Amino acid sequence: MKKSENLFLLIAFLLIAICTYFYVFPLLKNSNEPLTKEVAELTIDANLLVKSFAIDEQKSNELYAGKIIEVTGTIKEITYYNNRTTIILNHKNRNSFGVICDLNHTEEKKSQFLKPNQKIRVKGICKGYLKDVILLNCSIEVLTNE
Amino acid sequence: MNKILLFLLLSFFMADLSSAQNQQIARQGQVSFFSYTSVENIEANNNQVLSIIDYSKSKIAVSMLMRAFVFKKDLMYEHFNESYIESDLYPKANFEGIIIDFDENLASQTKIIKGQLSIHGVTKDIEIKTKIQKNKGNYTLDGEFDVLVKDFKINIPPILASNIAKTIAIKFRFQYQPYEE
Repeated sequence: MKKSENLFLLIAFLLIAICTYFYVFPLLKNSNEPLTKEVAELTIDANLLVKSFAIDEQKSNELYAGKIIEVTGTIKEITYYNNRTTIILNHKNRNSFGVICDLNHTEEKKSQFLKPNQKIRVKGICKGYLKDVILLNCSIEVLTNE
Repeated sequence: MNKILLFLLLSFFMADLSSAQNQQIARQGQVSFFSYTSVENIEANNNQVLSIIDYSKSKIAVSMLMRAFVFKKDLMYEHFNESYIESDLYPKANFEGIIIDFDENLASQTKIIKGQLSIHGVTKDIEIKTKIQKNKGNYTLDGEFDVLVKDFKINIPPILASNIAKTIAIKFRFQYQPYEE
């Protein structure tokens, strides 16, 4: 008798745990956390990325939008509109601005030491293209200038 | 004949060039929206809104990516993009309008912008009250307005109807810079 009661309790507990994991945690999940632990799906040069979007936006959206990507490039400027720290990466095509990288709050301190024309690698979620490619929730890594 | 053609082409080119000089661009404009209900408050920000203003023609254009809105919870983001806005089909929201009685020399003015707002594949005429400021030659526009969810054919399932307001408040702020080609 006692054994089956224990078994019942164990199953009930397991069910609650599983439900919590699958139904309650997703409700509370917040992906505005840094991507430092995530692995990027691909790495691409800023010039190539902007060129790809400028030539065929739809195809590029399929390739890059919604994915975590790493972009290498040089800094054009760092802006601080609306309490956001944003790094703009240079681009050769003059009609386009470049790549807009909106930094995660935890990465903002690092941006103090950055200078224009410095070479960096940015990891973020690609959202698409307006006049520029937009990356959100970015983390940065400084590369040595060659 | 050839000379006339050349002249026409040249003047056309010049006109195009001068129009670019009268334009300013904001690549990191901010648009936020709010839905207040007794059940929950939903708020989202987009800090990468593109806008171009042509102050000689009093024209303004705005474009934004729906997937670039940032929410507090992932589930809100998913519902917004997958069920309501259907971002895969309609990835952008656009606005084009004319600023009524715009005076490009005033340092501060409040004007009405008349134009068309397109969200979720539906275009609607709209009037927006906007504060326009000019500082060191650069314009800043900000304001807020309301839109009705049902105007844009956005279907909210009855079970979630109490969580989402019928009227969504939208706030915007654009800081413009000279448009360098």
